[in-house]
Amino acid sequence: MTELSIELAQEQTAFKPAEAVRGKVSWTVDPPPQFMELRLFWFTRGKGTEDAGIVQTVRFDQPLPHETRSFEVCLPEAPYSFSGKLISLVWALELVAYPSKQVARREIEMGPDGKEVRIESVQTSGLARRWLEVRAT
Amino acid sequence: MRARDNPFRTECLQRLRYRFAGITWEELLGRCERLNYRGAVVGRCGSGKTTLLEELAPKLQERGLVTRSIRLSREQPSFKPGFLSQLVLKLSDREILLLDGAEQLSLGGWHWFKCRTRAAGGLIVTTHLPGRLPTLWECRTSAPLLAQLAADLLGTEAEDLQRQAEELFERHRGNLREALRECYDQLAAESS
Repeated sequence: MTELSIELAQEQTAFKPAEAVRGKVSWTVDPPPQFMELRLFWFTRGKGTEDAGIVQTVRFDQPLPHETRSFEVCLPEAPYSFSGKLISLVWALELVAYPSKQVARREIEMGPDGKEVRIESVQTSGLARRWLEVRAT
Repeated sequence: MRARDNPFRTECLQRLRYRFAGITWEELLGRCERLNYRGAVVGRCGSGKTTLLEELAPKLQERGLVTRSIRLSREQPSFKPGFLSQLVLKLSDREILLLDGAEQLSLGGWHWFKCRTRAAGGLIVTTHLPGRLPTLWECRTSAPLLAQLAADLLGTEAEDLQRQAEELFERHRGNLREALRECYDQLAAESS
């Protein structure tokens, strides 16, 4: 039986750039894992090939079969979480048990206001509208 | 609609399983064995060949075979220098090579590859046209299949999507990958 979980301090899921992310990871892994690893990473979602980048990893050695440990990782300045029509960039924490490589994931947002940046379409942006108006005259 | 919420986004398409019509996995694996694990999954672009090959790998592993997957594509149509030499050094007769994109190899390149890898326990490839190896399975697409896939992604009934599926299927000439990508674009545009 395997159960993995990631708990965030005060259930905070919105962060600003360079902010620390704190919380606890818990697991019940049978047979006992060799080690556990927590990753802070971003990945893309949307149309086309997906991309990802791991920013920080925290290794938990000599894990007990059933245990809870605290963690603190630090978000970088960039990239921000963002969403457009074609692509979103998502930040997440992932807890991995080795060697089974079973995984638990928790998504978070990172942006200037602690929220993802929404990218509007060119057709509705003010700059594009003005360009279209000039072209029509 | 945000890209991360679009039900036709890449990660959802990658989770789609191959849908057989008229055959089961056991029957297909029996066919593999009768062909001594040397055969081709044949079909046009976007018909599910890669999906089927990817799902075949764990099925073969369950039978105690070792699989090694290789992929060629339009972006990478040939093997990197030294790759084949490294590959054949470690080949055993318990290993089944799964080559996705055999059509990328020229006729000469294909025969060279087959010759160099003859020590392997098997070779299963994907290709657009039959002929390079005995046909293990031919992937076919249809508008009802497209409707079913889209319905699964949207969490709705296939009957509700039949008309749109027929239009998309015809426009993309049976290429389900491109048809599902247009579904992505349509949903993204509708929400603006």
